[in-house]
Amino acid sequence: MSQAETSVQSVTPLERARQWVSQSLTQENQITAYLEPLIQVVLPGWTTDAVRSKVIQVRPETNDVYTLVIRPGKRWKGFKAGQHLQITAEQNGSLQTRFFSVSSAPAYFKKTGLIEMSIRVQEGGRVTPWLRDAFAAGGICNLSPAEGDFTLPEGNQPVLMIAGGSGITPFRSMLSQMAASGDKRDAHLMFYVRDASNALFQEEFEKIAAEHDNIRVTFMNSAEKGVFSAEHIKEICPDFAERKVMICGPTPMIQLVRQVVSGEGVSADNIMFEYFGAAPIELDRADAKDAYVSFEKGGVAAISSAENPVSLLELAEQNGLKPLAGCRVGVCHQCKCTKKSGVVLNTLTGQYSDTGREDIQLCVSVPVNDVVLDV
Amino acid sequence: MTTPIPSADTLESFHKELDEIRDDLMAKVGEEDARYIRRIVRVQRFLELGGRAVMVAGFYHWIWWLVGVVMLGCAKILDNMEIGHNVMHGQYDWMNDPHLNSRTFDWDNVCDGESWRRTHNYEHHTYTNIIGKDRDFGYDTLRLSDDVKWKAHYRWQPIRLIVLMLSFQWAVAYHELFGERIFVGKRRPEGKLPISHAELIKDFFSKIRRAVFRDYIFYPAIVGIFLGWPMFFAIAAGNLVANLIRNVWANIIIFCGHFTEEVHTFSEEDCENETRGQWYYRQILGSSNLEGSKLLHIMSGHLSRQVEHHLFPDMPSYRYGEAAERVRQVCAKHNIPYNTGTLWDQYKTVVARVFKYSRPPKKTGEMANA
Repeated sequence: MSQAETSVQSVTPLERARQWVSQSLTQENQITAYLEPLIQVVLPGWTTDAVRSKVIQVRPETNDVYTLVIRPGKRWKGFKAGQHLQITAEQNGSLQTRFFSVSSAPAYFKKTGLIEMSIRVQEGGRVTPWLRDAFAAGGICNLSPAEGDFTLPEGNQPVLMIAGGSGITPFRSMLSQMAASGDKRDAHLMFYVRDASNALFQEEFEKIAAEHDNIRVTFMNSAEKGVFSAEHIKEICPDFAERKVMICGPTPMIQLVRQVVSGEGVSADNIMFEYFGAAPIELDRADAKDAYVSFEKGGVAAISSAENPVSLLELAEQNGLKPLAGCRVGVCHQCKCTKKSGVVLNTLTGQYSDTGREDIQLCVSVPVNDVVLDV
Repeated sequence: MTTPIPSADTLESFHKELDEIRDDLMAKVGEEDARYIRRIVRVQRFLELGGRAVMVAGFYHWIWWLVGVVMLGCAKILDNMEIGHNVMHGQYDWMNDPHLNSRTFDWDNVCDGESWRRTHNYEHHTYTNIIGKDRDFGYDTLRLSDDVKWKAHYRWQPIRLIVLMLSFQWAVAYHELFGERIFVGKRRPEGKLPISHAELIKDFFSKIRRAVFRDYIFYPAIVGIFLGWPMFFAIAAGNLVANLIRNVWANIIIFCGHFTEEVHTFSEEDCENETRGQWYYRQILGSSNLEGSKLLHIMSGHLSRQVEHHLFPDMPSYRYGEAAERVRQVCAKHNIPYNTGTLWDQYKTVVARVFKYSRPPKKTGEMANA
């Protein structure tokens, strides 16, 4: 999922004065942040920045996909079909945050006050298998405001939606919203699934398609038909060139579909796509085992060779960046920064990191696969 | 008096066993530690808000003023020591809690958090007790070993100790600027620090302004408006005393951690191309522990486990008690001294050390050491 950069907002003098007073009295920008530990006595998990919400149910969809049914707290402001949000839950004392698309419609939220998020269990993942078990009997989580611009285009332009696996979630939201709101635009969904048993929400989509002339849904069984190709699109949706093409799925699939539809003459303006996790680093490399490291703030991408790995700190310095650093042996924590995605090895403890967003020490971290850093 | 170093084999096995302790304990870190630090933060909030409120009841009877002051003093101690010091070391970063994160945390203290992270986490923890590199050794004002050349003004250092103790938060705040010779002495050229001298000065005063506003303007004024101007001064004085309580306590605990009689010092040459084992060894010899109740450990921010803190600065403080038992055994096995004692016994040796080195070195003593 594309991670939207939070833009620096201009602060009014009044707001700045309020922050200054709050900083003086509590060392926090907001007084409520200081009071958080006391508020949490009554409302466990309550935080200033996110909306405390209740997980009502964990509903299995297929073998490895489940849906969280959540009742967002009152402060939550709603969403547009296709948007994603961050869900935060406490796992063994540690707050874990992940991005997921909302898979239900805004109309459904309006009616019931509930939203749904459909999640694929990542094998060996730290969070996705755990969430399912931890919330089996319900529980408390925190939600961020919804964000993202992978939403239906303005106006009535027809769309072609191409989904792979659990990349179906934003499209489920969009199609059920169209059905509920009587949106008359022409929409065609091509849904690539591994095999028949993995056809998520099949009955639901077939029902929507049967009840609405403007919505068509084609299930593409990859076990029989193979991966996406130019032939598929010409056969199933011949007028694709007049449509906005929206893609969501695993990274290699998105790259393949973009390549094919561009080759068929669809302009970049008419292609929208959404990754799960940070966008991959699009560079060629000499050896498959080499890792690319993207220093986002510095605007530099560098290669870390598998044969001769160096710490991320040295790599940054070799590439002309000067991140803040101190002891260089993992003691002082001055070079700590945020890793947005990718796996790193901590050379001090010998432990591998998780794939998601977390803080790491540059001086004792070696990239294992492609890494995106907020440096 | 610098220190001899044990054989490479001893250090290697020492290093391995300490790493084992670290790995074992870090594997246990989780919900229990999170619950612990959150509970401490809650108690701190309760003591701070409660202390400030109870102090106002001094309007009816002075005893409430005193109770409030002690509560606020304890809140400041918890904030600076068990919460601030440990959080700013990154001990609780794994919790991913934005309010307990080493990069963003700031404390109720006139010292700017960023400045402290630079001088303490980096200089002091990396170069512990290396004369000339670790400026925390004597805080540039006290002479605590013969490695520092004696000058006539050191005769007065027992008095300096008292001044340093009372103004400890200000000394810590000024520490980095003093090292850079910002206001006095020959200015160092810029470039060594990640921020410019101008920014250093700006941060220094910005933090002081906020702390002064809180303790000596805002809270006294709020109370003064409703209860009259004598209460303005009563609250301001109460806050001053609470700050003094914190200053004196923090100073005593910190001095017990590095300046007791048996604590060793090192030369820069000793530490060139140091191995990890050697580094561990230096940390142990350069630190000393305190024995006492659970309350002492919490109120000292677990600096009563200074040895373990220096070995594993980013291990959650909650685990230091467990670590101490095992580190002590490993030290005994490798015949490496492990310095510990009660607060009273340790502090006596600190005071003795301050007096001892306030006098010029005896020539014969020099020879014997050399």
